[in-house]
Amino acid sequence: MDRYNPKAHHNPHAHVIHAPGARLMHGVKLRYVWNKVQGHGHRSPNASLNLVSFIDFLSVIVIFLLMSFSASGEIAVDKNVTLPKAENVEAIIDAPMVAVNGNQILVDGVQAGSTRSIEELGRLQKIDELFALLKNKRELWKQVQPNKPFPGVCILQVDQNVSALVVKSVFQTAAFAGYPNVSFMVGKIPSTSGAAPAAE
Amino acid sequence: MGGVDVDTGGKKRSTNSEINMVPFIDLLFVTVAFLLITAVWVTNSRINADAQVPGPPDPNKELTPQTPEKVLNLHIGENDFGLVWKQGATVVSEVKVPKTPVELGDGSTKVLRYPDLAKKIEEEWKAQGGHRDASDKKLDQCILYSDNRTQFKELVAVLDALYSPKREMILGKETKKIPVFNMTFSVR
Repeated sequence: MDRYNPKAHHNPHAHVIHAPGARLMHGVKLRYVWNKVQGHGHRSPNASLNLVSFIDFLSVIVIFLLMSFSASGEIAVDKNVTLPKAENVEAIIDAPMVAVNGNQILVDGVQAGSTRSIEELGRLQKIDELFALLKNKRELWKQVQPNKPFPGVCILQVDQNVSALVVKSVFQTAAFAGYPNVSFMVGKIPSTSGAAPAAE
Repeated sequence: MGGVDVDTGGKKRSTNSEINMVPFIDLLFVTVAFLLITAVWVTNSRINADAQVPGPPDPNKELTPQTPEKVLNLHIGENDFGLVWKQGATVVSEVKVPKTPVELGDGSTKVLRYPDLAKKIEEEWKAQGGHRDASDKKLDQCILYSDNRTQFKELVAVLDALYSPKREMILGKETKKIPVFNMTFSVR
């Protein structure tokens, strides 16, 4: 029964039960639409694109990005610090960050001393503010994880032009505060010798 | 788009079937976008050092006097480096290496390196180094002597040379290549 024909006998159940089969509209047959898409015997207006090379390209990008993906994320470096570069390095670890630039010393962004005052004094010294901040961090770590041994690792982000006197003072202060395993953050340069990369 | 063509040659229904590639391309696009957003382009690394702080004595262990190990003392001079192996207060060997810096790059990206020093340190370790076995977890010790005015980039260049010789070490179930030396600063 054709439900679009007004002359047809009105069946109260017509809206529920229909004859199976494809239908579009009363006047426009599905075959007509199909022929229209095909071009009525002429060249089809639909053009198909070969997607194989496109999918290959996307797959290569996905594989490259997955291989260079780092789950540990980016570690913020102080904007006033220019890190030196080295070849024989290890992977970075999660530890308190001490940034040392030409003017100040910062622990995780909090000021912990002045570089200028160390250079003016001209001798190795314990930096009291840095010592207090690192000691607080160590005690907090021990409170949070009382059953684990304290690793005693901290990372120094030192500007490449800072003098050895400042580096040694910060190093010694960190050791006094309970961080004997000090690491220096550096930029990584590719291996020139072709040897195996450092253990990570 | 994507399809599998199997010619049956009969009058049966064609076995060619079209796979809809649109969701697959969408998935690839979303993955590329996610990985590009979360990508870390600047890779920073670290160089190890050790302050050589002794731990508390074990009350259950009896202390036995041990012969001191050979330690490499690396002096950064004005024109040369001094490599001195000492056992306690006794000087075992002493070598001077002329300072021949090699600068890579230019401007702010300049990298200072000492390839001659790295070569000599490796030779010295092969001749005098005490910890060579893969099962030996201890590293040879190096004490770095530098002037207070030395710039940090020069210290890193020397540390890079010091950490260039590597040996195998068994860590758990796998064997890794690790630097042969552990460094600490000399302070007065």
